[in-house]
Amino acid sequence: MVGVLIRMKLAVLRNTATGGKMAWVALGGTAGLCLAIANIVLAFFDFAHPRMLMDLLAVTFALWALGWMAGPAFAGEPPLNGQHFHRQPIPRGTLALGLLASAMVAVTTAVTLLAFTSLIVLAARLNLGAVVVAVPATILLLLLVVLLSRVVMLLFGALARSRFGGVVTATVTAAMIALASFSWIVFIGIYLLLDHGFPPGLSMLLRSLPSSWGLLSVEAAGRGDRWWTVGPLAALAVLDVVLFLVWRRLLGPRRPARAVVRGSSAQRAAPRGWAARSDLGVLYLKEMRTWWRDPLRTQNIVLPAAFSVITALLPLMVDFTGFFPFVGVATALMGAATCANLYGQDGTALWMTLMLPGKEKADVRARQLAWLTVFGPMTLLMTAAGSALHGDLFLLPWALAANLAALGGGAGLLIWISVMDLVPGPDPHKSKNSPLDHGDVTGQSFLMLLLTAVAVLPALGVALAGHLLDRSPLLWASVPVGLLVGAACHVWFGDLAARRLREKGPGLLQLMRSGKRQAVADAPPTAPAPSAFETMGVKSRFLMWGSMAVGVLALFPQGLVPLGVKLSGSTDRVWFLALYMPDPWQWPVIAGMILIGLASFGGMTAVYLAASRKTKENAASRKAKKEKPSTA
Amino acid sequence: MAAFRLVGLHKRFGEHTAVDHADLTVAAGSFYGLVGPNGAGKTTVLSMAVGLQWPDEGRASVHGVDVWKEPLRARRLMGVLPDGLAMPERLTGRELLTSLGQLHGLDAAEAARRAGELLAVMELDGSAERTLVVDYSTGMRKKIGLATALLHGPKLLVLDEPFEAVDPVSAATIKQILKRFVAGGGSVLISSHVMALVEQLCDTVGVMAKGRVVAEGPLDEVRGGRSLEETFVDLVGVEIGGSEGLSWLVS
Ligand SMILES: Nc1ncnc2c1ncn2[C@@H]1O[C@H](COP(=O)(O)OP(=O)(O)OP(=O)(O)O)[C@@H](O)[C@H]1O
Ligand SMILES: [Mg+2]
Repeated sequence: MVGVLIRMKLAVLRNTATGGKMAWVALGGTAGLCLAIANIVLAFFDFAHPRMLMDLLAVTFALWALGWMAGPAFAGEPPLNGQHFHRQPIPRGTLALGLLASAMVAVTTAVTLLAFTSLIVLAARLNLGAVVVAVPATILLLLLVVLLSRVVMLLFGALARSRFGGVVTATVTAAMIALASFSWIVFIGIYLLLDHGFPPGLSMLLRSLPSSWGLLSVEAAGRGDRWWTVGPLAALAVLDVVLFLVWRRLLGPRRPARAVVRGSSAQRAAPRGWAARSDLGVLYLKEMRTWWRDPLRTQNIVLPAAFSVITALLPLMVDFTGFFPFVGVATALMGAATCANLYGQDGTALWMTLMLPGKEKADVRARQLAWLTVFGPMTLLMTAAGSALHGDLFLLPWALAANLAALGGGAGLLIWISVMDLVPGPDPHKSKNSPLDHGDVTGQSFLMLLLTAVAVLPALGVALAGHLLDRSPLLWASVPVGLLVGAACHVWFGDLAARRLREKGPGLLQLMRSGKRQAVADAPPTAPAPSAFETMGVKSRFLMWGSMAVGVLALFPQGLVPLGVKLSGSTDRVWFLALYMPDPWQWPVIAGMILIGLASFGGMTAVYLAASRKTKENAASRKAKKEKPSTA
Repeated sequence: MAAFRLVGLHKRFGEHTAVDHADLTVAAGSFYGLVGPNGAGKTTVLSMAVGLQWPDEGRASVHGVDVWKEPLRARRLMGVLPDGLAMPERLTGRELLTSLGQLHGLDAAEAARRAGELLAVMELDGSAERTLVVDYSTGMRKKIGLATALLHGPKLLVLDEPFEAVDPVSAATIKQILKRFVAGGGSVLISSHVMALVEQLCDTVGVMAKGRVVAEGPLDEVRGGRSLEETFVDLVGVEIGGSEGLSWLVS
């Protein structure tokens, strides 16, 4: 049984390994590998404070576990899950064992295992007994994170079927992502703590997390303390078994009870009034009803808001409220990123839009407007409230300008990306009982985040100029600039999206029907050439997304934000590398970071252009080949 | 002029040829039945013919209007029920039909009237009134799909397996509707696996096998005195299986 499931998993991986996917796996794998190696290197360090190394390793293990729990919110369900085998008379225990084994066959698992070998490194520095303990501890730890991930996934899946459950899962997921992505604050904190070690309370808390129990055992083995060696290890094993049993239970057929959302009554069904006056109104009403009724959309609304609020609250640990005014911007940015699969979420329902004569444009605009209705007032309110709480109005023009630009830019870009980079998933009626079973939108979300951030830049640039020249009117001019850029994005990218929908509609439908991109040859000769995004090879994609990731990291969190902090005259260093440098070095480091960021974007553009040229040449030569036999 | 003409439609998926230069002609005012074994390419050929899938080669025209060159005019003439595709799922049947009606250019009152009639005929009102399409059963999904195809009063209906999963009473109603539609001058193209149903409804049949149209013509000509089922088995060129092998099943 176990062997069969592992073979099935390998077959699935083989059949879904397209160029784009491989590039993502490679990119993610490399990033993970770097983290894992850093984790191992950490275990070789010596610290002044004796408990420091233990605490640090405990932090890293907790972060890995957190990543495993939050991951499925973006990556969707694993390729093999319990639902696929409900109708087979396989005992649930055997099935759970088989699925667990097949879960071990994955790049993520391998990388995590590598990271956890830092436990063995630590043990090797102690004594042989510790190593003997460390090996099973490592394996139990790996089992712990994998099982946690699966159990959390199933629980969330059950919860997310209702709108209320959607709110809960979105908030918890947002908290996990916020913690995981701002974990560097912990490291800066640690830098400050290097001399004193962790506060005892925090240290206790960290050590009591199940992800640290293996560490406790190894440490105790190093001391020769028999009870503390066996105790935590046994507890970890018991926890693994309990999780396994819980998982086995949850694997059973899902209970059919699901909060069913009801539609409107016969009298209120038809679009009337403003909604009936134009195609846009009719489609807008449809879209707003979907936003209101679909639990997945509820999640898409709550997740960005919760993430931004939690992220703004985190720096309160160092008494920094400077993020408060930017909560609205962050929500708009994240909202654009999480909602960018609008057409993909609707699945093959696209056929109806295609069969309606000439309504693509209205459909696109309706979706943009609906997104703006959901996120516009909410984020503007957040900006206002955040500015009020922060207390001083100094940051308001920056926040307001960025918010407007992010709203307009987001509304334009998200609809464009949703047709350019559509991620196919199961049709909504097929996944109504497992709403987390969607396509893997991680890449799409990152791309959206980056693009929308770029749309915000001009407004921030004007604000910066106003600040540097000390001209208040110029500073405030950033607000209309943000509005203008936003409006332009909204209109222009909306038009592009509508055009692509009209020209490539059947191709998109095909993509959703078959779940994967068709070879280029499927397009008719008259169809516009495919974009380079679709045709570039694994290596180019890897290079492109890789340089994008570096660019984003260097330009935004380590370049522009510290620039802003420094300009605002604040002496808070928060967690920006540049601000920890000796004073004369701060400006050069910021400039360097910005340069690195810009260079990476340049590299990304260069790769894209090269790939695009190649695609065009290929298309031309294909056309020539096609024409030859017909003329002969 | 033919109501619907497909000329040389061709589609390959990788190495596999799903539809191999298929030609079909639906005469105006006729009821056309397309039959063929699973995987013969019926769904693919119909999707290409209505403009939901790119053909590698070939053309399709509705009452002389090319589906690919003048899509807007062609779509107004057609009512389509594809097989197994999603719909705007978070709407009730009435919300869906009234919006679609208005998008097709009907005024609000007319759209509401037609939606009401269609829902009543398909028995999707009453207790199912406030159920969202996402929660519909398989048969209910077929029926709401059919209602959307009929809504704008097309001249040609292209229906992929319209009777699949539909209960006998609703099926009888739908048959009645389709017969009236043809009697009123409309044309219908359906695909189906139920030979008796095709014999009962259709005046013209086409048989597809392995992507090719192997026979096409008036019903009586194609079946030539035998039952359509026997002719079908002959044309498709397969033995009826199931009498050999599987010995473990009966022991
Ligand atoms: N998107 C696709 N990608 C690859 N192959 C496909 C795709 N769609 C259909 N096919 C293949 O094309 C062939 C014809 O499929 P089609 O759905 O047209 O058959 P059908 O006659 O409608 O069958 P059924 O009677 O079962 O509905 C099948 O072999 C199928 O595997
Ligand atoms: Mg079919």
